[in-house]
Amino acid sequence: MEKWEKLSRMPYKQIKELQDKKLRAFMANQIYLYSPYYSNLLKELKIDPLKIKSIDDLRHLPFTYKWDIAPTDEEPQKAKDFIIRPDEEVTEKYGHLAKMSMTSGKAAVEEKIYDFKPVHIHFTTGRTAMPTPFVYSKRDLDHIREAGYRLLDVFEVTTDDIVVNCFPFAPHLAFWQTFFAGEKMDVANFHSGGGKIVGTKNLMDAFEYLRPTVAVFIPGYCYYFLREAVKQGRDFSSIKKIFFGGERVPPGLKDKIKELFKQLGAEEVMVLATYGMTEAKVAWPECPSHEEYHGYHLYPDLEIFETVDPESGESVGEGEEGEIVYTSIDWRGTAVLRYRTGDIAKGGLMLEPCPNCGRTVPRISSNIQRKSELKEFSMTKVKGTLINLNNFFPLMMGHPDIEEWQVEMRKRNDDPYDMDEIYLYVAPKENVDREKLAADLKQKVLRDTEVSLTDIIFKTVPEVVSQLGMETELKEKRILDNRPN
Amino acid sequence: MQAWNKLSRMPAPAIKKMQDELFTKMLREELAVRHPYYREVFKEHDINPDLIKGLEDIKHLPFTEKKDLLPRENDLRHPKKFVLEVPSEGEKKGKKKGFALFGKKDKGPDPSDYKFHTLYFSAGRTGKPVPFEYTHYDLRNLKEAGLRAFDILGLTRDDTMINAFTYAPNAFFWQMFYSTIETGSTALQTGGGKVLGMEKILKAMDNMEAPVFVCAPGYTIFALQTLDHFGFSAENLERVVLGIDYAPMEAVEKARKMMEAVGAKDTKVQRLYFIAEAKSGWAECDPDYGYHTNPDHIYVEIVDPESGAVLDEGEKGEVVITHLDTRGTVLLRCKTGDIATGGLVTEPCPNCKRTVPRIMGDIERKAYYYELHSNEGPVQFNANQLRKMMTARDDVLLWYAEINRDRGLDNLNLVVKGTSGTDEDTLLKALAEELQKEFSVPANVESASLDAVVNKIGLEKYITAQLIFDNRDL
Repeated sequence: MEKWEKLSRMPYKQIKELQDKKLRAFMANQIYLYSPYYSNLLKELKIDPLKIKSIDDLRHLPFTYKWDIAPTDEEPQKAKDFIIRPDEEVTEKYGHLAKMSMTSGKAAVEEKIYDFKPVHIHFTTGRTAMPTPFVYSKRDLDHIREAGYRLLDVFEVTTDDIVVNCFPFAPHLAFWQTFFAGEKMDVANFHSGGGKIVGTKNLMDAFEYLRPTVAVFIPGYCYYFLREAVKQGRDFSSIKKIFFGGERVPPGLKDKIKELFKQLGAEEVMVLATYGMTEAKVAWPECPSHEEYHGYHLYPDLEIFETVDPESGESVGEGEEGEIVYTSIDWRGTAVLRYRTGDIAKGGLMLEPCPNCGRTVPRISSNIQRKSELKEFSMTKVKGTLINLNNFFPLMMGHPDIEEWQVEMRKRNDDPYDMDEIYLYVAPKENVDREKLAADLKQKVLRDTEVSLTDIIFKTVPEVVSQLGMETELKEKRILDNRPN
Repeated sequence: MQAWNKLSRMPAPAIKKMQDELFTKMLREELAVRHPYYREVFKEHDINPDLIKGLEDIKHLPFTEKKDLLPRENDLRHPKKFVLEVPSEGEKKGKKKGFALFGKKDKGPDPSDYKFHTLYFSAGRTGKPVPFEYTHYDLRNLKEAGLRAFDILGLTRDDTMINAFTYAPNAFFWQMFYSTIETGSTALQTGGGKVLGMEKILKAMDNMEAPVFVCAPGYTIFALQTLDHFGFSAENLERVVLGIDYAPMEAVEKARKMMEAVGAKDTKVQRLYFIAEAKSGWAECDPDYGYHTNPDHIYVEIVDPESGAVLDEGEKGEVVITHLDTRGTVLLRCKTGDIATGGLVTEPCPNCKRTVPRIMGDIERKAYYYELHSNEGPVQFNANQLRKMMTARDDVLLWYAEINRDRGLDNLNLVVKGTSGTDEDTLLKALAEELQKEFSVPANVESASLDAVVNKIGLEKYITAQLIFDNRDL
């Protein structure tokens, strides 16, 4: 990997040259030789890997979709074919490494092969597909550490900070990216495992014990955690920065979070966002700014981002809205090419230097319609209209009168052939006029999602918190699809 | 910490000499100078650390109890009193000139060794969790302890394993993680049943064709018993490493039997023993050869739990630990609440020939020793023995026991779920008889549904399942 300080100030032309060079080498020396899935695909489609010379040639490669990788009951080992692995099965055909033993001896070959050995594993959190493993070699762990270092560098975290990691523990990217970032930056830390693991009260105690300066959260749980802390009169005055991951952070929620921190004694807390995906094996930082959104800084020596028209698959121009397509260019373990993320970057890909920090690496727009837990059914057919469930998030999270909420989709009379129904559970803030709120919500939901709510059901905060599984689930169940199949 | 290949072959007198040196250094240069709690204790008890010449004098020092460590209701930062203060830059001496060439270089304390790096908690099985601070120095020690444990277990970078220890910000999870990362073996850090659930863990074991499974004993046995139900295979399984909970030889035997029953390739079972207070864990080369401690890190004493008198080699007693080479949280003569039934031995291991002191036998929990009121007066009830008895039985799938008080008299209520195919009446009758024979406590045995038992014991809710419930309002 390149030195971040140098890479992040390199002119784009040079970055592109670097990416082209890395892509060429990766295609010829890794993908074609050791990736069972892609080497078969290239042969099948008669694509010469040596002809993929630059980013512009990527269009000759087919897209990879989630269902190409996700294991099924019939093919539980599917994901294994995406692992770059010069093991016996593959090297028998491409015995380049075997030849090495003639010159350098068996031990050298073993060492070389060990470089590819998976040592660490993450899973996707998908709901529609089975969890898909993405594996890391020892070399890849250095990459995820370096990516973490870059993330903390953009967020201006230093070795004087103390970071509390409140992501739920799981073999998922969010928790581990935070862990490896801390390791590389050498910053003091506490990897709590989240409220589900240690309990919300113990987590608050840990905050007061450690007096951290930085906390890392899933937005929904953070909002709940802070409200509880305010109720208990806790002192979180040490907090300076908070990073979110795992979900989109609507602007309204940022304001609410800052306000809660004020009540806990922390003034001017910087709310920062990250974007990550299991398939890319890293997460990227949004350029910190109190007012404007400058996009997420990418790592061009590890990957290539394209933005394409979700329908036609054609590349869209710089800064134009499009689906994010991801290509690995320097990984071992699991590596994917032209992976269709399903995430739509509203402001597209930006290649000019960041107006905020001056870093020159490509940026992807801050406004991403995140897939997270909703993407799988984000364009669900409800009442015969396609609705974008993503739109509930900014509306509900940012609404000043709402504490907690949940959306539930059902079938009338629980009959699979009957009408779809959509219910909104709302725990309003104290002293809010419910009638007014209901009318406001009905109108705004219709405006933002083009669907009329069947009903709005008012509940207490603890009721909705328990329905969401805030302290029991890995991720809260914000949108429930309870329609029988 | 020392070089392991040298230390693990060092004769006992040399180990003792090294420990004496580390201990007096710790006492004089760390505890007396920059440990807020012990500095006060020494003053209070009029102890002059300079007069403590070695470990033979340790008996003159007071014990530290878990209650001393606990955060206070109005002072959450009380455990910070057990953390070494960071020395000032001025204390860091320059390189000695001249004669230093012929003697040991004394550079003075390096402040970066004392700077807080990470926080782990005790498991909180018997009460509130206690925070333990780790500096970089401690993290290096934890990684080293992890590497040594893998060396003792015989695990290498060629191994593939499922780490099913429950995730918690505890030394036991993280030591296991660092063992795998530092060794370079392939590992899935599942976070245990609480995070992934049993089905996903078993599926991963099957898909990854993992030969090594690392897990708490109760959960391991239950997992192997339910393997068939989920339709997964464990044919590649060769070895199970038990840890984080009571793992008597009965659990080792049961795990072996279960591995055989599910068609595992091999049936090797090994054990690990973690003590949060020791800030690391120890491995056993093979069952019943004792947990191989790290004498350059922790000094272990075995004492009479009541009188506190230090016991002889091989005598059953409470494990007491003293830190010899740690930073962050540092403890002196800390009573762990664990009872080593085989005591401590210092002769070389007859199995692997390593010479480090070993903690022998089963590790019972003192908290599981109860005094019950019966018609004939007070009766001692060791619930560890009950756990042993229940583990050994092939016809019990899951269980728990409650201690209840009725009109001033105590009784035991044992609730069980038998394995499939077991005749319930026969099981209940057999258990009632065995209870009567083993324990002189009035007891009742009843059966319950699988769900009821799973929920009650918190199989996938707590770090380890809770099996004994003392319902008496004491």
